Amino acid sequence: MEIQAALDALGGWLVQTDIGLGLLLVVGLSMSLSHVFTLLANRLNRRQIIVHLILDGLMLSVAFLLSSTIDMVLLATSASMTIHPSDFINGVAVCLLPAAFYLLVAAPYVGETIGFGIWVLMHLNVITLLHARFALPYGEALFLATPGYVVAVLLVWLLFRQGWQAGYSTLASQLSDTHGA
Amino acid sequence: MQKRSPVSSSHPRAADAAIQAQQHALRSRLGFVALVLAVGLGLSWFGVGHVLLALRSIFDWTDINLLLRWSGLLLLVLIPTAGIYSLVTQFAFWEGWLDGLPDPTALFPDSPSISEHRCFVVYLDGIHQLERDHPPRVSAFLGLLDQQLNPATRLVKGLEAYTVLPVALAQDIGSAWFWRRLFALQEEHPNGWIQLLAAVLVQANNVIKVGISSDHRYGPIMNYELSLKIALRLGEVGFRPDQGQRVVLVGYSGGAEMAMGVADYLRRICRSPVSIVSFCGVFSGNQLLNQLSKITMIIGSRDPVAAFGRIAYPGRSPLLPLSNWNRALKHSCIERREIDGMNHNGLRGPFAELHRQAVVDQIVQAIESEDAVALR
Repeated sequence: MEIQAALDALGGWLVQTDIGLGLLLVVGLSMSLSHVFTLLANRLNRRQIIVHLILDGLMLSVAFLLSSTIDMVLLATSASMTIHPSDFINGVAVCLLPAAFYLLVAAPYVGETIGFGIWVLMHLNVITLLHARFALPYGEALFLATPGYVVAVLLVWLLFRQGWQAGYSTLASQLSDTHGA
Repeated sequence: MQKRSPVSSSHPRAADAAIQAQQHALRSRLGFVALVLAVGLGLSWFGVGHVLLALRSIFDWTDINLLLRWSGLLLLVLIPTAGIYSLVTQFAFWEGWLDGLPDPTALFPDSPSISEHRCFVVYLDGIHQLERDHPPRVSAFLGLLDQQLNPATRLVKGLEAYTVLPVALAQDIGSAWFWRRLFALQEEHPNGWIQLLAAVLVQANNVIKVGISSDHRYGPIMNYELSLKIALRLGEVGFRPDQGQRVVLVGYSGGAEMAMGVADYLRRICRSPVSIVSFCGVFSGNQLLNQLSKITMIIGSRDPVAAFGRIAYPGRSPLLPLSNWNRALKHSCIERREIDGMNHNGLRGPFAELHRQAVVDQIVQAIESEDAVALR
């Protein structure tokens, strides 16, 4: 009975957080798509590419979910502000909306600047959310939002480093080695 | 080996050209003044107030503000989208979905070279290049260069530097209809503005290719594909690896970036020394340049576009001492030559009569100075 109650609660929570979780998924998939060319560059087949994109998208969504959880915990412990998780994630996910355009980071040369801009915008949005919704001064909002943001940046960087960037650099070195003799 | 060697226009032909340029500039200025006066008089006659009222009746400030914002947003989305689209062809070619990616082991014929040439100079044009045939001014420039190169040097021209496919843009399977229409608009449309817009769009495609070449994610593939294309062409004109021949890449404007991109791959594919001579070059210097024999930059003292390249590409800033460009600088394989008064294009550009001879002289000197080093 306890398991059923827990599952019911989880189901209810998921229904309440549908907007937030949906947006996080969109953000994750967009970020995943921004590096689709490395999968092509490494000559993966169509099925492998699709599986990679979906898995990476899910991983990135989880990274942002984790960073939102950190924000929520800090808000509760440091500022004694409690908020229902579904409300908070729905709010934070809207702040992460600029990352729905992360796909544009795939653009040559200007891509990295766009990526930087999107990361800055997301952080500013979360700070503004904390300020507007909880009436926290900007300094405190920045203090509370930064740890979660840093975790998100680190997780995404790790994923990029492990998968996509490694893919590009492997390819570059292979091309060099092919004609190295 | 940073060196500045200003070139004076002592040639009599150059002096005539200078006078012609002055006269042309004077006429242009007079024309501009007359145009401004005419527009001013027209506006006064009609009344500035009427113009403003007419504009206000169509748009108010909120509309204009909204229009500007939407235009900005559209540009922000369109530029990266065009870049991403441009990557698609390159990767489709890489994947083998489009035929034509050459086998790197069969680039050169097995038969020994019958060519007596010791040096192959490959010309890579700027972003104005539309097709294999160069514009008349560039052709005249290349004709002069060809005359002044020594008999053991072969000039290879007509390479399309901004497409990795073995066919011209207008024959590309996916986008031929678009390019053909655009070229037709550029050449035949009665409205000058449409012609200008079409020209800008064609050049934007080439600018994107320069961006791809300098991008550390996509650059390796595109540069490799382009170097295969160049190697194939070199094989056709008699180049053979391991036979003591060398390759010089001469790049104008964006062609300099393409030259930097392909140089190291070409060195490995051709198994021969490769050097670069750039003039009015706009390049990132992001690529591996240490192993090249030499890089000679010929720049104009009044060239704002080449100067912009130094700002647009942070890798060339002295603030990043570990960048590939700054490492190459430390290896002393970069030589800088300056031509006084030269601009990026137009009547004071490298293809204009005023500076054509000076640029050709500098290129020939740069190539021959390497020959002298090789003979020592």
